[in-house]
Amino acid sequence: MKKLLQILFVLSIVFPVVFLLLLSLGRRWAYPNILPAEINFENWEFLQKSDSKLFQAFFISLGISLCVSILVTVIGFFVSKTIAFNKFRNVYLILAYVPYLLSPVIMAVIFQYYFIITGLTGTFLGVIIAQFLIAFPFGIIIYLNFWNTKLKSIEELSLTLGGSRWQTFKYVLLPLSKNAIALCFFQVFLISWFEYGLTNLIGTGKIRTLTVSVFNFVIEANIYYAALACCLLVLPPMILLYINKSLMFFVEKSKTLS
Amino acid sequence: MSTILEIKNLGKKFGKEPILRDINLALKKQEVLSLLGSSGSGKTTLLKIIAGLDTQNEGHIFLNGKNIDNEKPQKRNIVYLYQEALLFPHLNAFENIAFGLRLKKETISAIREKVNKMLENLDMSKHAKKMPNQLSGGQRQRISFGRAMVIKPELLLLDEPFGALDAITRTKMQELFKQMAELMQLSALFVTHDLKEAIVMGSQIGKIQKGKLVQYKSKRHFFEDEFSGVKQEMDFWAQIHSNDR
Repeated sequence: MKKLLQILFVLSIVFPVVFLLLLSLGRRWAYPNILPAEINFENWEFLQKSDSKLFQAFFISLGISLCVSILVTVIGFFVSKTIAFNKFRNVYLILAYVPYLLSPVIMAVIFQYYFIITGLTGTFLGVIIAQFLIAFPFGIIIYLNFWNTKLKSIEELSLTLGGSRWQTFKYVLLPLSKNAIALCFFQVFLISWFEYGLTNLIGTGKIRTLTVSVFNFVIEANIYYAALACCLLVLPPMILLYINKSLMFFVEKSKTLS
Repeated sequence: MSTILEIKNLGKKFGKEPILRDINLALKKQEVLSLLGSSGSGKTTLLKIIAGLDTQNEGHIFLNGKNIDNEKPQKRNIVYLYQEALLFPHLNAFENIAFGLRLKKETISAIREKVNKMLENLDMSKHAKKMPNQLSGGQRQRISFGRAMVIKPELLLLDEPFGALDAITRTKMQELFKQMAELMQLSALFVTHDLKEAIVMGSQIGKIQKGKLVQYKSKRHFFEDEFSGVKQEMDFWAQIHSNDR
Protein backbone atom coordinates (compact mmCIF):
# COMPACT_ATOMS: atom_id res chain seq x y z
CA MET A 1 0.00 0.00 0.00
CA LYS A 2 2.83 2.36 0.98
CA LYS A 3 4.67 1.49 -2.24
CA LEU A 4 1.52 2.04 -4.30
CA LEU A 5 0.99 5.48 -2.76
CA GLN A 6 4.61 6.40 -3.54
CA ILE A 7 4.17 5.27 -7.17
CA LEU A 8 0.94 7.24 -7.45
CA PHE A 9 2.67 10.32 -6.07
CA VAL A 10 5.56 10.04 -8.56
CA LEU A 11 3.11 9.41 -11.41
CA SER A 12 1.04 12.47 -10.48
CA ILE A 13 4.18 14.61 -10.90
CA VAL A 14 5.82 12.88 -13.89
CA PHE A 15 2.75 12.05 -16.01
CA PRO A 16 1.64 15.65 -16.78
CA VAL A 17 5.20 16.58 -17.79
CA VAL A 18 5.61 13.54 -20.05
CA PHE A 19 2.12 14.08 -21.48
CA LEU A 20 2.96 17.72 -22.19
CA LEU A 21 6.17 16.72 -23.97
CA LEU A 22 4.35 14.08 -26.02
CA LEU A 23 1.63 16.55 -26.93
CA SER A 24 4.23 19.10 -28.07
CA LEU A 25 5.87 16.45 -30.30
CA GLY A 26 2.61 14.97 -31.58
CA ARG A 27 0.50 15.64 -34.67
CA ARG A 28 -2.86 14.28 -35.74
CA TRP A 29 -3.82 12.87 -32.36
CA ALA A 30 -7.45 12.01 -32.81
CA TYR A 31 -9.79 10.31 -30.39
CA PRO A 32 -9.72 7.37 -29.48
CA ASN A 33 -6.00 6.83 -30.35
CA ILE A 34 -3.79 6.35 -27.30
CA LEU A 35 -0.78 7.91 -29.02
CA PRO A 36 -0.58 10.57 -31.74
CA ALA A 37 -0.40 9.39 -35.35
CA GLU A 38 2.90 11.27 -35.84
CA ILE A 39 5.67 12.10 -33.38
CA ASN A 40 8.29 14.52 -34.68
CA PHE A 41 9.87 17.91 -34.07
CA GLU A 42 7.68 19.74 -36.55
CA ASN A 43 5.88 21.71 -33.81
CA TRP A 44 9.21 22.65 -32.25
CA GLU A 45 10.36 24.07 -35.58
CA PHE A 46 7.64 26.65 -35.03
CA LEU A 47 9.98 28.23 -32.47
CA GLN A 48 12.38 29.19 -35.27
CA LYS A 49 9.73 30.86 -37.37
CA SER A 50 9.89 34.65 -37.23
CA ASP A 51 6.15 35.06 -36.74
CA SER A 52 5.97 32.61 -33.80
CA LYS A 53 7.35 35.15 -31.26
CA LEU A 54 7.55 32.36 -28.72
CA PHE A 55 11.24 32.88 -28.08
CA GLN A 56 10.55 36.59 -27.70
CA ALA A 57 7.79 35.80 -25.19
CA PHE A 58 10.16 33.47 -23.36
CA PHE A 59 12.79 36.17 -22.94
CA ILE A 60 10.22 38.83 -22.00
CA SER A 61 8.91 36.47 -19.30
CA LEU A 62 12.42 35.72 -18.13
CA GLY A 63 13.31 39.42 -18.00
CA ILE A 64 10.17 40.35 -16.06
CA SER A 65 10.48 37.44 -13.60
CA LEU A 66 14.18 38.03 -12.96
CA CYS A 67 13.64 41.77 -12.37
CA VAL A 68 10.68 41.16 -10.03
CA SER A 69 12.35 38.38 -8.06
CA ILE A 70 15.65 40.25 -7.66
CA LEU A 71 13.86 43.43 -6.57
CA VAL A 72 11.61 41.62 -4.09
CA THR A 73 14.47 39.50 -2.72
CA VAL A 74 16.75 42.48 -2.09
CA ILE A 75 14.23 45.08 -0.91
CA GLY A 76 12.18 42.48 1.02
CA PHE A 77 15.28 41.40 2.96
CA PHE A 78 15.81 44.83 4.52
CA VAL A 79 12.15 45.85 4.87
CA SER A 80 11.19 42.53 6.50
CA LYS A 81 13.98 42.97 9.05
CA THR A 82 12.59 46.35 10.08
CA ILE A 83 9.06 44.91 10.29
CA ALA A 84 10.13 41.76 12.18
CA PHE A 85 11.44 43.73 15.15
CA ASN A 86 8.72 46.37 15.08
CA LYS A 87 6.04 46.34 17.78
CA PHE A 88 3.35 46.37 15.04
CA ARG A 89 4.82 43.27 13.37
CA ASN A 90 1.50 41.38 13.40
CA VAL A 91 -0.40 44.28 11.86
CA TYR A 92 2.10 44.43 8.99
CA LEU A 93 1.88 40.66 8.59
CA ILE A 94 -1.92 40.81 8.23
CA LEU A 95 -1.54 43.65 5.70
CA ALA A 96 0.91 41.50 3.72
CA TYR A 97 -1.80 38.89 3.21
CA VAL A 98 -4.30 41.42 1.78
CA PRO A 99 -3.20 41.14 -1.90
CA TYR A 100 -3.76 37.37 -1.70
CA LEU A 101 -7.12 37.68 0.03
CA LEU A 102 -8.26 40.06 -2.71
CA SER A 103 -6.52 38.04 -5.47
CA PRO A 104 -3.93 39.58 -7.85
CA VAL A 105 -6.48 40.23 -10.62
CA ILE A 106 -8.66 42.39 -8.38
CA MET A 107 -5.53 44.21 -7.24
CA ALA A 108 -4.70 44.76 -10.93
CA VAL A 109 -8.14 46.29 -11.50
CA ILE A 110 -7.49 48.62 -8.56
CA PHE A 111 -4.02 49.54 -9.88
CA GLN A 112 -5.15 49.92 -13.50
CA TYR A 113 -6.48 53.47 -13.16
CA TYR A 114 -3.19 54.73 -11.74
CA PHE A 115 -1.22 52.81 -14.36
CA ILE A 116 -3.29 54.39 -17.14
CA ILE A 117 -2.79 57.96 -15.90
CA THR A 118 0.93 57.37 -15.44
CA GLY A 119 1.20 55.81 -18.89
CA LEU A 120 2.51 52.53 -17.52
CA THR A 121 -0.11 50.21 -19.02
CA GLY A 122 1.15 48.10 -21.90
CA THR A 123 4.79 48.66 -20.92
CA PHE A 124 7.51 46.30 -19.71
CA LEU A 125 8.16 48.58 -16.70
CA GLY A 126 4.45 48.73 -15.89
CA VAL A 127 4.17 44.92 -15.73
CA ILE A 128 7.29 44.74 -13.53
CA ILE A 129 5.90 47.34 -11.13
CA ALA A 130 2.48 45.66 -11.00
CA GLN A 131 3.99 42.22 -10.36
CA PHE A 132 6.34 43.71 -7.77
CA LEU A 133 3.37 45.19 -5.87
CA ILE A 134 1.79 41.73 -5.72
CA ALA A 135 4.94 39.72 -4.99
CA PHE A 136 6.55 42.09 -2.49
CA PRO A 137 4.15 41.30 0.41
CA PHE A 138 4.74 37.61 -0.31
CA GLY A 139 8.50 38.16 0.01
CA ILE A 140 7.87 39.87 3.37
CA ILE A 141 5.83 36.87 4.57
CA ILE A 142 8.67 34.48 3.61
CA TYR A 143 11.37 36.56 5.30
CA LEU A 144 9.35 37.24 8.48
CA ASN A 145 9.70 33.58 9.48
CA PHE A 146 13.45 33.92 9.16
CA TRP A 147 14.05 36.90 11.47
CA ASN A 148 14.00 35.91 15.13
CA THR A 149 15.43 37.11 18.45
CA LYS A 150 18.35 34.68 18.26
CA LEU A 151 19.46 36.12 14.94
CA LYS A 152 19.09 39.62 16.36
CA SER A 153 21.28 38.63 19.32
CA ILE A 154 23.91 37.17 16.94
CA GLU A 155 23.86 40.43 14.99
CA GLU A 156 24.27 42.47 18.20
CA LEU A 157 27.10 40.19 19.30
CA SER A 158 28.93 40.84 16.04
CA LEU A 159 28.58 44.59 16.69
CA THR A 160 30.02 44.35 20.19
CA LEU A 161 32.90 42.26 18.79
CA GLY A 162 33.80 45.31 16.71
CA GLY A 163 31.93 44.63 13.48
CA SER A 164 30.53 47.56 11.54
CA ARG A 165 26.99 47.34 10.09
CA TRP A 166 28.44 46.38 6.70
CA GLN A 167 30.83 43.75 8.16
CA THR A 168 28.00 42.28 10.22
CA PHE A 169 25.82 42.08 7.13
CA LYS A 170 28.56 40.58 4.96
CA TYR A 171 30.07 38.08 7.39
CA VAL A 172 27.10 37.18 9.58
CA LEU A 173 23.66 38.00 8.21
CA LEU A 174 24.31 37.15 4.57
CA PRO A 175 25.82 33.67 5.16
CA LEU A 176 23.07 32.85 7.66
CA SER A 177 20.28 34.01 5.38
CA LYS A 178 21.40 32.18 2.20
CA ASN A 179 18.56 29.67 2.41
CA ALA A 180 15.91 32.31 3.11
CA ILE A 181 17.19 34.44 0.22
CA ALA A 182 17.18 31.43 -2.15
CA LEU A 183 13.66 30.48 -1.00
CA CYS A 184 12.33 34.02 -1.49
CA PHE A 185 13.92 34.35 -4.94
CA PHE A 186 12.59 30.96 -6.04
CA GLN A 187 9.04 31.51 -4.79
CA VAL A 188 8.76 35.05 -6.16
CA PHE A 189 10.17 33.93 -9.50
CA LEU A 190 7.43 31.28 -9.69
CA ILE A 191 4.69 33.78 -8.80
CA SER A 192 5.91 36.16 -11.47
CA TRP A 193 6.60 33.45 -14.07
CA PHE A 194 3.10 31.96 -13.94
CA GLU A 195 1.25 35.26 -13.44
CA TYR A 196 -1.47 35.69 -16.08
CA GLY A 197 -4.46 37.83 -15.07
CA LEU A 198 -2.56 40.84 -13.75
CA THR A 199 0.03 40.70 -16.57
CA ASN A 200 -2.69 40.54 -19.21
CA LEU A 201 -4.61 43.44 -17.68
CA ILE A 202 -1.66 45.79 -17.08
CA GLY A 203 0.20 44.58 -20.21
CA THR A 204 -2.99 45.19 -22.28
CA GLY A 205 -1.91 42.44 -24.68
CA LYS A 206 1.17 44.42 -25.72
CA ILE A 207 3.43 42.58 -23.26
CA ARG A 208 3.18 38.98 -24.46
CA THR A 209 4.68 36.81 -21.76
CA LEU A 210 4.90 33.04 -22.16
CA THR A 211 1.90 32.48 -19.88
CA VAL A 212 -0.15 34.92 -21.93
CA SER A 213 0.96 33.06 -25.11
CA VAL A 214 -0.13 29.71 -23.65
CA PHE A 215 -3.61 31.07 -22.95
CA ASN A 216 -3.78 32.54 -26.45
CA PHE A 217 -2.97 29.13 -27.98
CA VAL A 218 -5.54 27.49 -25.73
CA ILE A 219 -8.15 30.06 -26.80
CA GLU A 220 -7.22 29.34 -30.44
CA ALA A 221 -7.70 25.59 -29.63
CA ASN A 222 -4.13 24.95 -30.82
CA ILE A 223 -3.23 22.32 -28.24
CA TYR A 224 0.07 21.31 -29.86
CA TYR A 225 1.48 24.84 -29.81
CA ALA A 226 -0.02 25.36 -26.34
CA ALA A 227 1.85 22.24 -25.19
CA LEU A 228 5.02 23.52 -26.85
CA ALA A 229 4.69 26.86 -25.04
CA CYS A 230 4.00 24.96 -21.80
CA CYS A 231 7.24 23.00 -22.26
CA LEU A 232 9.11 26.30 -22.46
CA LEU A 233 7.08 27.52 -19.50
CA VAL A 234 8.06 24.68 -17.15
CA LEU A 235 11.74 24.71 -18.17
CA PRO A 236 13.05 27.65 -16.03
CA PRO A 237 11.16 26.58 -12.86
CA MET A 238 12.61 23.09 -13.26
CA ILE A 239 16.14 24.46 -13.66
CA LEU A 240 15.56 26.71 -10.63
CA LEU A 241 14.24 23.77 -8.63
CA TYR A 242 17.34 21.78 -9.52
CA ILE A 243 19.68 24.66 -8.56
CA ASN A 244 17.75 25.26 -5.35
CA LYS A 245 17.85 21.58 -4.43
CA SER A 246 21.57 21.30 -5.23
CA LEU A 247 22.28 24.41 -3.18
CA MET A 248 20.34 23.11 -0.16
CA PHE A 249 21.93 19.69 -0.56
CA PHE A 250 25.38 21.27 -0.78
CA VAL A 251 24.75 23.30 2.41
CA GLU A 252 23.54 20.21 4.30
CA LYS A 253 26.46 18.13 3.00
CA SER A 254 29.10 20.70 3.94
CA LYS A 255 27.56 20.99 7.42
CA THR A 256 27.83 17.24 7.91
CA LEU A 257 31.36 16.95 6.53
CA SER A 258 32.94 19.77 8.50
CA MET B 1 43.59 50.59 40.83
CA SER B 2 41.80 53.10 38.56
CA THR B 3 38.11 52.94 37.70
CA ILE B 4 37.29 51.47 34.31
CA LEU B 5 33.51 51.82 34.32
CA GLU B 6 31.45 54.48 36.00
CA ILE B 7 27.71 54.92 35.72
CA LYS B 8 26.04 58.05 37.04
CA ASN B 9 22.32 58.50 37.71
CA LEU B 10 21.25 56.20 34.88
CA GLY B 11 17.55 55.70 34.23
CA LYS B 12 15.55 53.78 31.64
CA LYS B 13 11.83 53.62 30.91
CA PHE B 14 9.85 51.37 28.59
CA GLY B 15 6.91 53.58 27.72
CA LYS B 16 5.92 55.08 31.03
CA GLU B 17 7.20 52.18 33.11
CA PRO B 18 10.59 52.76 34.76
CA ILE B 19 12.92 49.77 34.34
CA LEU B 20 16.07 51.28 35.83
CA ARG B 21 16.12 54.13 38.34
CA ASP B 22 19.05 56.28 39.41
CA ILE B 23 21.71 53.63 38.81
CA ASN B 24 25.17 54.45 40.13
CA LEU B 25 28.02 52.01 39.73
CA ALA B 26 31.81 51.98 39.71
CA LEU B 27 34.05 49.14 38.59
CA LYS B 28 37.80 49.09 39.08
CA LYS B 29 40.20 47.73 36.45
CA GLN B 30 40.83 43.99 36.49
CA GLU B 31 37.97 43.39 38.88
CA VAL B 32 34.79 41.37 38.43
CA LEU B 33 31.56 42.82 39.76
CA SER B 34 28.83 40.25 40.31
CA LEU B 35 25.37 41.67 39.78
CA LEU B 36 22.62 39.73 41.48
CA GLY B 37 19.07 40.09 40.35
CA SER B 38 15.91 38.15 39.73
CA SER B 39 14.10 37.92 36.37
CA GLY B 40 12.68 41.25 35.25
CA SER B 41 14.84 43.26 37.65
CA GLY B 42 16.40 45.20 34.75
CA LYS B 43 19.89 43.65 34.81
CA THR B 44 19.89 42.62 31.13
CA THR B 45 18.67 46.10 30.14
CA LEU B 46 21.51 47.64 32.15
CA LEU B 47 24.11 45.44 30.41
CA LYS B 48 22.65 46.24 26.98
CA ILE B 49 22.81 49.96 27.71
CA ILE B 50 26.45 49.66 28.78
CA ALA B 51 27.21 47.70 25.59
CA GLY B 52 25.48 50.35 23.45
CA LEU B 53 22.76 47.99 22.26
CA ASP B 54 20.08 50.03 24.05
CA THR B 55 19.91 53.66 25.14
CA GLN B 56 19.23 55.18 28.52
CA ASN B 57 16.68 57.93 29.10
CA GLU B 58 18.87 59.68 31.63
CA GLY B 59 22.32 59.50 33.21
CA HIS B 60 25.80 58.94 31.83
CA ILE B 61 28.28 56.11 31.27
CA PHE B 62 32.03 56.60 31.44
CA LEU B 63 34.63 54.11 30.24
CA ASN B 64 38.16 54.93 31.42
CA GLY B 65 36.85 58.38 32.30
CA LYS B 66 35.49 59.02 28.78
CA ASN B 67 31.78 59.58 28.25
CA ILE B 68 30.53 56.86 25.90
CA ASP B 69 26.81 57.76 25.88
CA ASN B 70 26.80 58.37 22.13
CA GLU B 71 29.45 55.83 21.14
CA LYS B 72 28.34 53.05 18.77
CA PRO B 73 28.59 49.48 20.16
CA GLN B 74 31.37 48.55 17.72
CA LYS B 75 33.47 51.49 18.94
CA ARG B 76 33.09 50.85 22.68
CA ASN B 77 35.36 47.79 22.93
CA ILE B 78 32.86 46.25 25.32
CA VAL B 79 31.77 42.69 24.58
CA TYR B 80 28.36 41.49 25.70
CA LEU B 81 27.97 37.75 26.21
CA TYR B 82 24.54 36.17 26.29
CA GLN B 83 23.27 33.25 28.35
CA GLU B 84 23.41 31.20 25.16
CA ALA B 85 26.88 30.83 23.60
CA LEU B 86 25.57 32.17 20.25
CA LEU B 87 28.43 30.87 18.15
CA PHE B 88 28.20 31.77 14.49
CA PRO B 89 26.67 28.55 13.11
CA HIS B 90 28.42 28.85 9.71
CA LEU B 91 31.92 29.06 11.21
CA ASN B 92 33.96 26.38 12.96
CA ALA B 93 35.42 26.81 16.46
CA PHE B 94 38.69 28.30 15.16
CA GLU B 95 36.91 30.78 12.89
CA ASN B 96 34.48 31.77 15.65
CA ILE B 97 37.38 32.78 17.88
CA ALA B 98 39.15 34.45 14.96
CA PHE B 99 36.03 36.49 14.04
CA GLY B 100 36.86 39.69 15.97
CA LEU B 101 40.51 39.58 14.88
CA ARG B 102 39.51 39.25 11.23
CA LEU B 103 37.21 42.27 11.61
CA LYS B 104 40.20 44.22 12.89
CA LYS B 105 42.10 43.06 9.79
CA GLU B 106 44.96 41.54 11.74
CA THR B 107 47.53 39.55 9.76
CA ILE B 108 46.91 35.86 9.06
CA SER B 109 49.93 34.76 11.09
CA ALA B 110 48.92 36.94 14.07
CA ILE B 111 45.38 35.55 13.92
CA ARG B 112 46.63 31.95 13.77
CA GLU B 113 48.98 32.51 16.69
CA LYS B 114 46.43 34.26 18.92
CA VAL B 115 43.60 31.84 18.18
CA ASN B 116 45.76 28.76 18.72
CA LYS B 117 46.99 30.19 22.01
CA MET B 118 43.42 30.90 23.07
CA LEU B 119 42.28 27.39 22.08
CA GLU B 120 45.15 26.00 24.16
CA ASN B 121 44.19 28.12 27.18
CA LEU B 122 40.62 26.93 26.85
CA ASP B 123 41.75 23.30 26.41
CA MET B 124 39.88 23.24 23.09
CA SER B 125 42.74 22.74 20.59
CA LYS B 126 41.50 19.36 19.42
CA HIS B 127 38.04 20.80 18.69
CA ALA B 128 39.30 23.68 16.51
CA LYS B 129 37.84 22.32 13.28
CA LYS B 130 34.46 21.36 14.72
CA MET B 131 31.27 23.22 13.82
CA PRO B 132 29.15 24.64 16.68
CA ASN B 133 26.53 21.88 16.32
CA GLN B 134 29.24 19.30 17.00
CA LEU B 135 30.19 20.86 20.35
CA SER B 136 28.62 20.35 23.79
CA GLY B 137 27.03 23.24 25.70
CA GLY B 138 30.12 23.75 27.85
CA GLN B 139 32.47 23.61 24.85
CA ARG B 140 30.35 26.15 22.99
CA GLN B 141 30.51 28.47 26.00
CA ARG B 142 34.32 28.09 26.13
CA ILE B 143 34.59 29.08 22.48
CA SER B 144 32.25 31.99 23.13
CA PHE B 145 34.57 33.20 25.94
CA GLY B 146 37.58 32.74 23.72
CA ARG B 147 35.95 34.73 20.93
CA ALA B 148 35.32 37.62 23.34
CA MET B 149 38.65 37.52 25.18
CA VAL B 150 40.93 37.18 22.16
CA ILE B 151 40.16 40.77 21.09
CA LYS B 152 41.12 42.00 24.57
CA PRO B 153 38.02 44.08 25.32
CA GLU B 154 38.16 46.88 27.86
CA LEU B 155 35.16 45.37 29.57
CA LEU B 156 33.32 42.07 29.41
CA LEU B 157 29.60 41.93 30.16
CA LEU B 158 28.31 38.47 31.02
CA ASP B 159 24.57 37.93 31.17
CA GLU B 160 24.01 34.71 33.13
CA PRO B 161 26.53 32.88 30.91
CA PHE B 162 26.26 29.58 32.80
CA GLY B 163 22.50 29.62 33.27
CA ALA B 164 21.87 26.93 30.63
CA LEU B 165 24.61 24.55 31.83
CA ASP B 166 24.33 21.54 34.15
CA ALA B 167 25.77 21.81 37.69
CA ILE B 168 29.11 20.05 36.99
CA THR B 169 29.83 21.92 33.76
CA ARG B 170 28.78 25.13 35.46
CA THR B 171 31.36 24.66 38.25
CA LYS B 172 34.07 23.87 35.69
CA MET B 173 33.17 26.94 33.67
CA GLN B 174 33.25 29.15 36.77
CA GLU B 175 36.79 27.93 37.51
CA LEU B 176 37.84 28.41 33.90
CA PHE B 177 36.43 31.94 33.80
CA LYS B 178 38.24 32.89 37.01
CA GLN B 179 41.52 31.55 35.63
CA MET B 180 41.06 33.33 32.32
CA ALA B 181 39.98 36.59 33.97
CA GLU B 182 43.21 36.56 35.98
CA LEU B 183 45.36 35.52 33.02
CA MET B 184 43.87 38.11 30.66
CA GLN B 185 43.53 40.76 33.42
CA LEU B 186 39.87 41.18 32.61
CA SER B 187 37.41 43.69 33.96
CA ALA B 188 33.91 42.28 33.92
CA LEU B 189 30.32 42.69 35.01
CA PHE B 190 28.91 39.26 35.77
CA VAL B 191 25.13 39.05 35.99
CA THR B 192 23.57 36.08 37.76
CA HIS B 193 20.52 35.21 39.81
CA ASP B 194 22.50 32.56 41.71
CA LEU B 195 23.70 33.79 45.11
CA LYS B 196 26.57 31.28 45.36
CA GLU B 197 27.77 32.02 41.85
CA ALA B 198 27.74 35.76 42.56
CA ILE B 199 29.95 35.24 45.61
CA VAL B 200 32.32 32.83 43.81
CA MET B 201 32.75 34.90 40.65
CA GLY B 202 32.85 38.50 41.86
CA SER B 203 35.52 40.43 43.68
CA GLN B 204 32.73 42.94 44.29
CA ILE B 205 28.99 42.37 44.57
CA GLY B 206 25.98 44.43 43.62
CA LYS B 207 22.30 43.74 43.77
CA ILE B 208 19.66 45.00 41.42
CA GLN B 209 16.05 44.89 42.49
CA LYS B 210 13.02 46.53 40.89
CA GLY B 211 15.31 48.77 38.84
CA LYS B 212 17.39 50.01 41.79
CA LEU B 213 21.02 48.99 42.24
CA VAL B 214 22.93 48.59 45.47
CA GLN B 215 26.71 48.16 45.17
CA TYR B 216 28.27 46.79 48.33
CA LYS B 217 31.56 48.23 49.58
CA SER B 218 32.92 44.74 50.23
CA LYS B 219 31.76 41.13 50.33
CA ARG B 220 31.53 41.45 54.12
CA HIS B 221 29.01 44.28 53.74
CA PHE B 222 27.04 42.04 51.40
CA PHE B 223 27.05 39.12 53.85
CA GLU B 224 25.91 41.39 56.67
CA ASP B 225 23.06 42.96 54.72
CA GLU B 226 19.86 41.27 55.89
CA PHE B 227 18.28 41.80 52.45
CA SER B 228 21.15 40.22 50.50
CA GLY B 229 19.70 36.73 50.98
CA VAL B 230 22.95 35.34 52.46
CA LYS B 231 21.60 35.07 55.99
CA GLN B 232 18.46 33.25 54.82
CA GLU B 233 20.62 30.83 52.80
CA MET B 234 22.86 30.12 55.78
CA ASP B 235 19.85 29.64 58.05
CA PHE B 236 18.38 27.18 55.53
CA TRP B 237 21.52 25.00 55.47
CA ALA B 238 21.92 25.25 59.28
CA GLN B 239 18.32 24.03 59.61
CA ILE B 240 19.01 21.09 57.24
CA HIS B 241 22.18 20.28 59.16
CA SER B 242 20.44 20.32 62.55
CA ASN B 243 17.58 18.17 61.22
CA ASP B 244 20.10 15.55 60.06
CA ARG B 245 21.56 15.15 63.56
